[in-house]
Amino acid sequence: MTKYIIRRLIGLIPTMFIIITISFFIIRIAPGGPFDKDKRYPPEIIKNMEKKYHYDEPILIQYARYMLDILKGDLGLSSAYPDHDVNYFVSRSLPKSVFIGIIALCIAVISGIGVSIISAAKQNSWIDYTAMSVAVFGITIPLFVVGPLLMYICAIRLHWLPTSGWIDGKYGWVTLIMPVITLSLPYFAYIARLSRASILEILRSDYIRTARAKGLSEPVILFKHVLKGSLLPVVSYLGPAMAGIVTGSVVVEKIFRIPGIGHFFVQAAFNRDYFLLMGTVIVYAVILLMANFIVDILYGFLDPRISYK
Amino acid sequence: MKNKNQHQPEHQFNQSIKRTSLFLDAVRRLRKNKMAVAGFIIVVIYAVISLSAPLLPIHSYKFQILDHRFLPPSIKSAGKILLERERARLLTQAKNAGRDTLLPDELEKLETYEQKLRSDTTIKDGKPIRTFGRIYLLGTDSLGRDLLARIIYGGQVSIAIGLIGSITSILIGTCIGAIAGYMGGKTDYLITRFIDIMYSLPYMMLVIILMALFGRGILNLFFALAFVSWLTVARVVRGQIISLKNSEFIEAARSIGAGNLRIVFKHLVPNTLGIIVVFTTLTIPNFIMMEAFLSFLGLGVQAPFATWGSLIQESVDGMDLFPWRLFFPAITMVLFLFAMNFFGDGLRDALDPQLKNKL
Repeated sequence: MTKYIIRRLIGLIPTMFIIITISFFIIRIAPGGPFDKDKRYPPEIIKNMEKKYHYDEPILIQYARYMLDILKGDLGLSSAYPDHDVNYFVSRSLPKSVFIGIIALCIAVISGIGVSIISAAKQNSWIDYTAMSVAVFGITIPLFVVGPLLMYICAIRLHWLPTSGWIDGKYGWVTLIMPVITLSLPYFAYIARLSRASILEILRSDYIRTARAKGLSEPVILFKHVLKGSLLPVVSYLGPAMAGIVTGSVVVEKIFRIPGIGHFFVQAAFNRDYFLLMGTVIVYAVILLMANFIVDILYGFLDPRISYK
Repeated sequence: MKNKNQHQPEHQFNQSIKRTSLFLDAVRRLRKNKMAVAGFIIVVIYAVISLSAPLLPIHSYKFQILDHRFLPPSIKSAGKILLERERARLLTQAKNAGRDTLLPDELEKLETYEQKLRSDTTIKDGKPIRTFGRIYLLGTDSLGRDLLARIIYGGQVSIAIGLIGSITSILIGTCIGAIAGYMGGKTDYLITRFIDIMYSLPYMMLVIILMALFGRGILNLFFALAFVSWLTVARVVRGQIISLKNSEFIEAARSIGAGNLRIVFKHLVPNTLGIIVVFTTLTIPNFIMMEAFLSFLGLGVQAPFATWGSLIQESVDGMDLFPWRLFFPAITMVLFLFAMNFFGDGLRDALDPQLKNKL
């Protein structure tokens, strides 16, 4: 098992290398540069700035230099915010995004599975119908509609919650409520549907009939036998869900004005801030690769048919 | 004939079976699914409205009247709304000063204001037109453009992006998936590996980078979206082709000397058409959502064009004062997405009942 984990971890390195290389060159072959702005600097200044960021060197040398820097843990300098390097922005903004993302994912998984158990146990009751209608809504309505609507109702009309802010601001933890709800709603909905469908399928299977025949009580069957089996599709959905949450966080951070990494990602793409953009891409890639890795490991724990070799 | 039938006993030779085909069967199943039918009707209504937009009696989507900025939705004319607004303003002013009625000079001011509004003209297409009587059913936006027109024309662009985008991605996906499935071996391995790697990337991030770096034209948008969205189609088509390629009719085709290309595109791909059709209906809302997502980040189509996403994005600032600018585009878009999803789901269940409940 440990061997498998280590091998998988080592296997992530080439993938990471490919992602960094591809994004480096995609970003560089695009027309335009970081200093093409409405207000152009004089050519001498641009020359000096290009020298500072080594943009004047051939691209392969820049690439080699960048790879070496990454190995040293240095993500380079930001050209749009020259006061700080990329590491500073990442270390400031990443915890916020990760925090919101993890809370949203946990809420989506826990409430999604919870709702699916109730729905499946009381199939075709009004609870089931309501839950599944909410789920259909959650899947169909995009984040950038839910977010502003939630903000309009809860913050602007009813004054229950502040429109934006962060935990360390004057409103404290309540600022998290709306971003987390917005971000988790589609995944909650999807997980609820997925898990309900798989619970219903398992409830009809032979080994559950055997368990019933043995005289086990309904809660024991539901929680001990059905639930474990029904978790498999949910766990395999966690990888795509994580990717979705990472993407969605860009929008949620924009709506609720959270200075997370998504904000810097979009800003950097707009400003052609090469190193900041690369830095955020690398961070996202690491997050997603790790998420997929964890999902694979989890899958093995849940499904005894999968063996690690 | 009737009599004859009544006297004859029933046996297997005088029974006739009503002819049915896969298609008729699917239509019958689809018609039983009420949500799918409702979805289909809504989609048709949307299609008719956006196709006939130039013929509808609506304002231009890009014509601005700066005096008519942020007008609320109403069946009253813009001039009347402005006049009432002015009267209300003067009345509050009077109330603050401790009076219940307006002074004569204030009434006179109102009169001249009305005169001015009624005589106000603006140049459109080289001709002066009066602005007083313009009616904005859904209000106006920050530049005094009619929101109804913008939603309808925006819908045109959104739906077009959905359609063209999904058709492109399905063409690419079908071709690549078919090649991978049919060729097998190394080609298949390479293509599947590539798809797997692409899958593990957050493709919206890639699209954001492409859009931000290569410019924000509609063409780039299509390219960027199609570039990332053929993966699922390719996977599904590949699976289908693999399951079909050893069947007898392919062997028969090969035995009469059909070439590889002919077998793939004349025999194999048509047999996967059902699933491709279902996929198209389900990708259209996806594309609309992705475009709206990009528009929301300021990376979608550029002014004066609008899409539902860009309308929502514009409305977020100032939604406390002008909430209708958020509500109407949002409702329009969500209704379409719902309709499309229900229709797509119904179509999937109808064409392939085994897939039902499998998400």
